[in-house]
This record gives sequence, structure tokens and C-alpha cells, in this order.
Amino acid sequence: MIADIISPQAKHFAPGAQTVLRGHENRSRRVVLLKGSLVQNSRGESRGISARVTKNGRYGFSSVASYTEKDAEAVLKAATENALFLDQRAGAPRGTYPALPGGTVPDCRLIVDTDQKRIIEACQEIDGYICRTYPDLLSRTVVYSEDSQDKIILTSDAASGHVTYPRCYIYVMMSAESKSGAPVELFKAFGGAGSFADHFADLSAVYPGIDALHAHLMNKKEGVYAEAGSKTVILGGMMGGMLAHEAVGHTVEADLVLGGSAAGPSLHKPVASAMVNLVDFAGEAFGVPTPLPVYLDDEGTLARDAVLIKDGILAGYMNNRETAAHFGVAPQGNARAWDFNDEPLIRMRNTCILPGKSTLEDMIASIDDGYYLIDSSNGQADLTGEFMFGVSLGYEIKRGKLGRALLDTTVSGVAFEMLKTVDMLSDKVVWSSSGFCGKKQPMPVGMGGPDMRCRITIGGR
Amino acid sequence: MYDIKQVSQKLDSLLKGKGVQVYEHCVSESEKQELNTEKADFNLFRTIFDSGVSVTVILDGKKGSASGNDLSDEGLEKAVSDAIAGAESSMVDEANVIAEREEPETFRSGCWEADMPRFYDCLKALTDTMAKDYPKVNLMTLIGDHTRYHVYYVNSNGTRFENYSGLYEAGIEMSGSDGEKNTGLDYTGFCTKDLDTPLIEQGSVKQHLEATEKSLNSVPLPGKFEGTVIFTPDCLGQFVDMLASNYIMGGVIMNGTSQWLDRLGQQVASEKITVSLKAQDERIAKLQPFTSDGYKAENVTVIEKGVLNCFLLNLYAAKKTGKPVVKNTSFSMVIENGDTPLADMIASVDKGLIVGGFSGGEPGANGEFSGVAKNSFYVENGKIVGAVTETMINGNLEQAFKNVIAVSKEQVCDGGSVLPWLACGGIVISGK
Repeated sequence: MIADIISPQAKHFAPGAQTVLRGHENRSRRVVLLKGSLVQNSRGESRGISARVTKNGRYGFSSVASYTEKDAEAVLKAATENALFLDQRAGAPRGTYPALPGGTVPDCRLIVDTDQKRIIEACQEIDGYICRTYPDLLSRTVVYSEDSQDKIILTSDAASGHVTYPRCYIYVMMSAESKSGAPVELFKAFGGAGSFADHFADLSAVYPGIDALHAHLMNKKEGVYAEAGSKTVILGGMMGGMLAHEAVGHTVEADLVLGGSAAGPSLHKPVASAMVNLVDFAGEAFGVPTPLPVYLDDEGTLARDAVLIKDGILAGYMNNRETAAHFGVAPQGNARAWDFNDEPLIRMRNTCILPGKSTLEDMIASIDDGYYLIDSSNGQADLTGEFMFGVSLGYEIKRGKLGRALLDTTVSGVAFEMLKTVDMLSDKVVWSSSGFCGKKQPMPVGMGGPDMRCRITIGGR
Repeated sequence: MYDIKQVSQKLDSLLKGKGVQVYEHCVSESEKQELNTEKADFNLFRTIFDSGVSVTVILDGKKGSASGNDLSDEGLEKAVSDAIAGAESSMVDEANVIAEREEPETFRSGCWEADMPRFYDCLKALTDTMAKDYPKVNLMTLIGDHTRYHVYYVNSNGTRFENYSGLYEAGIEMSGSDGEKNTGLDYTGFCTKDLDTPLIEQGSVKQHLEATEKSLNSVPLPGKFEGTVIFTPDCLGQFVDMLASNYIMGGVIMNGTSQWLDRLGQQVASEKITVSLKAQDERIAKLQPFTSDGYKAENVTVIEKGVLNCFLLNLYAAKKTGKPVVKNTSFSMVIENGDTPLADMIASVDKGLIVGGFSGGEPGANGEFSGVAKNSFYVENGKIVGAVTETMINGNLEQAFKNVIAVSKEQVCDGGSVLPWLACGGIVISGK
């Protein structure tokens, strides 16, 4: 944990300016075993101080890759000069934003470091299990990846605090030769928020997931191409989470709304079937901590849930302090920065479609000819809500039963049209949190959803 | 600020003091000044002082690496200790070696000193021109920066590389807007050594602005057909990256999933295709003078007239596979131009698309790709009919690069690469 040299610096804040000073350390640990060979074995730390000073609505920002009281004073001075540079050149003052409730968020989670040796041993143990149990694979990769953020945030006119965000994962990738001779691949992530010991003290807990992954891969080996066109499908929770994040979440980030996203003209209008509810959760969801809890953002806003879609109606956006003032609402803690030298941007936290009342079994039984699309390799969406997701794992549904596995395919559509076709939601939510969202800076995010029956366009020849 | 040569010498002393015989390290300092606009209004000015240290040690064939940004004595001590601990925990692998000695050399490129008031004026001129000449283009964000790097690389075989570089870069996010009509997001960027050329003339800025305005009247394309796709230079870059990831990069060669494993020296693409990575090229501002594993960078022709010359293997991957190391780890890509003017290329299309961007899943190892054609225009009987939405393209990477109909005479240089337009047949195009 970084030492608190930040709190005493309030005396250097420029009068009449809105200021945030942040001490920040990121750590990374990475081990990659490719077919048993250790191809990456690295540890990294980056630490520094940043200041953001707002003068007449224009931001000056500066950061330095060192961590002393003198550095803090220097970045405050440089950020103030940058704000003045813009203020003098860029014309009329921009709107400012109101002060927020103060208070202090105490540090609540430890970042526990684990010996590299133990991490390598864990990867070797898992690799050994795969190698022994499944000698028929074309290739296998085991990756340990850990990143953590440790931040001390001091503000002139909002809350302050010391917050930490540790998370770690083991990714297992397998490939096998399909009947046509071409390789097919699948991967799965294990882990979540917390440190190594929280997830990997007992590796036998990982093996059932690896066994399931292998079973899916063997099915995919014999897989078929999906038939292109508009189809009735069940999007699994992982796919629903991707939809919540990529296709809806980004369009309701207020900076993109102001940039012309499809959500701009749709506020308080129907954008989905009445059974669809979407929330960007902060610290807790459904009575338990979210996959990646956020308690205080990097502008000093205490984090609260942001309700985005309520009963099918677009209910609100995600904001920073500036856009919240623009739209006349309270910010909910979405302004986050990845590294010490990054400025806070509007980011999602744990974006999730709320569950319904159906069971997955009933949903499958309800479809005569369609697909169950379980997992996604990647996804992208546009300001218009037009989205595309790669589907890495899926099955046919024929006469109410699961059929053959699918080879890789894609699905696409326009979010606010596709969500209106949702007519069944399962009673269970699946979360994922192992990826990064990219928007100028990377950012860890959680995303989740239930199984969702809808119409969607399948790509293919 | 540190004297990074002195920092480097301290690392040498620390490593030798701990008995490490085989190692490499790299120390860097950088300064970035960055101007940001929101809707053409300058709202953020950032100054970032950064530093970096990375250390790799090899102990009896076992390798460990550590990195950080703390150049103090304590920070260096920690980086060295972490790298040694990592190596001690590692596994013996004969492919763990460092590059043989290269002659020490100092490199300089670009412009070291930033002129931020002038850069501000250039960016302001760009936003003013956009507002005047492209009133239906909504400038979402414009980010312009000058960044300079001082980097010092050393390995225990005696290689010493020092590099001073400085560049201006800009990225533009835009969409079209006209009353109730809006387009999707479009992005373009460029880098340059100087500010003598108006920024609107850089890279493909003008093409993107024109395409965004024309996209306001887009409609879904009905039906499905096999046709010709003309990839714009930006989109071609995306497809060549996918081609490299699927068939040429070290990962797929080491794990054996590349379908080109046994194709070195063979025809893998149309003879119209020549792809190179450059270490020296006057058109490219962003060049990498030495590789991350300690070789002076060389010009490398990866595919020459359709023949695969090499895989993109770093030193580890080369040792692991028994194939030659490639002394270029940059993205400074040049695809040779052809002799077909772009206008003639479009005029020759019976039915197809000009594709400005691809939003698709990562192709499977078999090269099958499928995704949404972004910023794209329908072409029929040699004429551009209009922009399309919700249109997918599907095909096979290898087949697409074999079915090349023409390479354009024109190329776009954005300071990082030099790329033409490329027309490929046999792509399945499907509308809503």
C-alpha cells in the first residue's frame, strides 16, 4: 500500500480552482506457459502523482513518475499553469460544476503480493493437469495475470479517500484439430477481485471448469457453421453482459451522448422490452459485493448505482461531475483513471442486465429452431448502438433441445432495436470481470446478465 | 530528472555485484504535452513526465523480468532483485538467450523540442477548417500531443543503443450529424515530425471527413451476394494485422496453429502483394531504430510478390522454433502500391463495397472472418451508390489476399505506415 504523503498537500491547492491530487500505484504480475514453456515471467510497478486543476471549466493536468511531497507540489503548480494556458487562449469560460459532499473513504482491501515462484508453480500445476488429462490437444496455454490499483485521492471540493482495486485471473486456452483439419479454440478465465490466495489457494477448484471447457472444445471440434440470418436465440449471461457493456453501456456514457450517440434523443423513451432493466452497479449488487467494487471515483464522487434502463425505458446516463452538471443530475462515481498519468474519464463499473423469472431449461424448450450462444471472444459497438460480437461458444437448439456445437461466428444488430425483441430472461446472472474496456485508457470492468431470449442477426456465408 | 546513462551504469553495477552474467536492461524518460478538445473547444492540457526501467536476467538458462518507473537507487535495487527472483523461480529453457553484440550507436529522429503555442494554433486551424468546410461533421474529440523519449538499452554482450526521438501526434474522433440523422463513430490519426503541413492535409483526415458527411444518408443493404470489396488504407491495415496474427506472428508459429507453418518460400498471397516492415523510410516519421530484444532494426520484406519470406519471430520465438530471428518488431508497415488509379478501381466494380472499417470477431485459426462493414459504401456498375449500415462481410483471410483484383496507385501515409487501397474478389456481403 502506498504511504499517504498526499493528504498534507491541501495547503498547496490554488485558491478559486477545483483541484484533485492523486497518489497512484499500479502493479502487474504475468506468467505465460505455452505448451509447457515459460514464455513470459514478469513483474511490474508504476507509481506517481497527478494533479488536475480546473479553472473556468478548463482542465490543467500534470503527472510525474515519482512519489515525494516535492513532486506533489510540482505537479500542482504545472497543472495550474496548464489550466491558465487554456483559460487565456480558448475563449469564453466553460461552465463549472458544483461542490459535492465531502468525507473520507477509508482503505478497505489489502493488496497482497505473492511470490513469483508460487505463481509459476500454480501455472505449472494447472498445465500439468491439462497435459496429463487431455493429451489430445493441439495446443494449450495457461496465463496468470494480476493487476492492482492503489490510489489516494485528495479533493478541494468533494470526498477524499484511499482505495485499492486488486484482481487476478488464470486464463486457460485450448485448441484442438477439427474434422476439417483446421484448429478450433476456446478459453476460460478463473479468478476475480482480490489477490492470488483468495482464488488459487486450492487449485482443485479450477479443474471442474477446465474439464467443462475441454468438453465444449471436443463438441466444437465436431461443430458446424451457424446459418446466417435473423434467428431466435438465447444469449447466455456472458453474451448478455457484453451486450450490456458494449452496445448499451457505451452509448449512455454522457460524453458519448454529447458526442451524438443514439441514447441522446432516447432519454425517458422506450428502448427495450418492458422486462429489461439495466444498472451500472458500484459496490454491491443483489446484496453481495460486485465483481469489481468501486467506492470512490477519481473526482471525489462517492460511488452509487446508476440506473440506465428501467422497465424498458432509458432512465439515465453515466456522468462525470461536468456532464452531471450539464444534464442537471447528481454524478454517481463513474469518473475513473487507469494509471497515475491518466485523467479520469467516464467509465462503466459493473454493468448488468437484471434477471427475470424463467429457467434456462424452459427457455431452451421454448425454441424450435435457434441457437444458444454462450460465450464471446470480443465485441464492439458504435455510437448508433450497432454492435458486433464474436461468438466463440454456442450450440444449435432444435425442437426444444440443445444440438450440435457451433464453429466461431458473429452476431450483430442495433441495441435499442434488438432489446425490444427480448421476451424471456432467466433467473440467474452470470458475471465476468477479467477483461479491460478500452477508451483512451484501459479500465477493468465487470459485466453481467441473465440468459436472454431475443432475435438477432447471425453472420456467416 | 535523471541522467539515464548513469542509471544504466548503476544497473550494470548492481547486476554484476549480484553475480549476474547474462542480462539486458532498458531505461527511459519521456515528456508528453497533450491538448484535448471536446466539441472543438479546448478543455484539457496535460503535461506528463514519465520514466521506465526494465530488467531481464538469465541464470543458467532461467529467465526473469521486472519493470517499473522508479529510477531511484531503491527502485533499481527492487527491479534487479525482482528480476533475479523471477529467474530463480523459472524453468530452464535453451531458448532463453540475449542477442549477440551489436555496435554501440546513438539514434536521433523527429523534433526534440515541442512548440506548444504553435501546435495549439495548428490544432485550432484544423478545428476551424472542419467547422467551415465540413459543417455536418461533429468533432467529438481531438487529442494532439508532442512526446519525446530518451531511451538507453544495454545488454551483457556489450550492445549499447541510445535513442532520442520526438513527434507530434493527433487523433480525431468524429461522427456525422444533421438534424435527426446521425452516423456512427469514425476515427483517424497521424504523426508528424514537423508542423509545416496543415493538419487537415495529414494522413487520411480529409477522406474521413468526406466519408463521414456522406454517411449521413446511409441505408441498410438488402440481400446477400458475393462481390468485390475495396479496403481503404486504414481498413487494409486492420486486415494485414489479422493476417499476421493468424499466420505469421511468433505465438501461432510456436503453438503450431498457423496454417502457414510449412509455407516459407511459397506463394501465400497474390503476386500483387508486397508487405514490408521498415527501419528506414523517409515517408515514415515513427520508426523503431532497434528491436526490443537488442538488434539494430532492419528493413524486412515479409511477403514479396505474394511469397512468404519470413515469420515475425523475436529472439525467443526464433530459438524456440529453429527459424531465423526477424530484426524488426515495429508496426512501420509499407504495402507497395500498384498501377491502378483508385477511380479506375472503383469504376471496375460490378457489385461490391468500399469498406472503411471492420468490426468483427477475431478470425478463427482457419482464417474465416465475419463482421460488420463500418464506414462503408455500396458500389454498383462502377458507381458509388451510397453509404450502408448493418452490412456484414464474410470470407477467408488467405483467400482474400489471394483474390486480389488490384492495388491502387495512390497510397496514404499517416506517419506510421504507407498503405494503398486494395480490391479483393469473392467476399460475401450480406445486408439486413
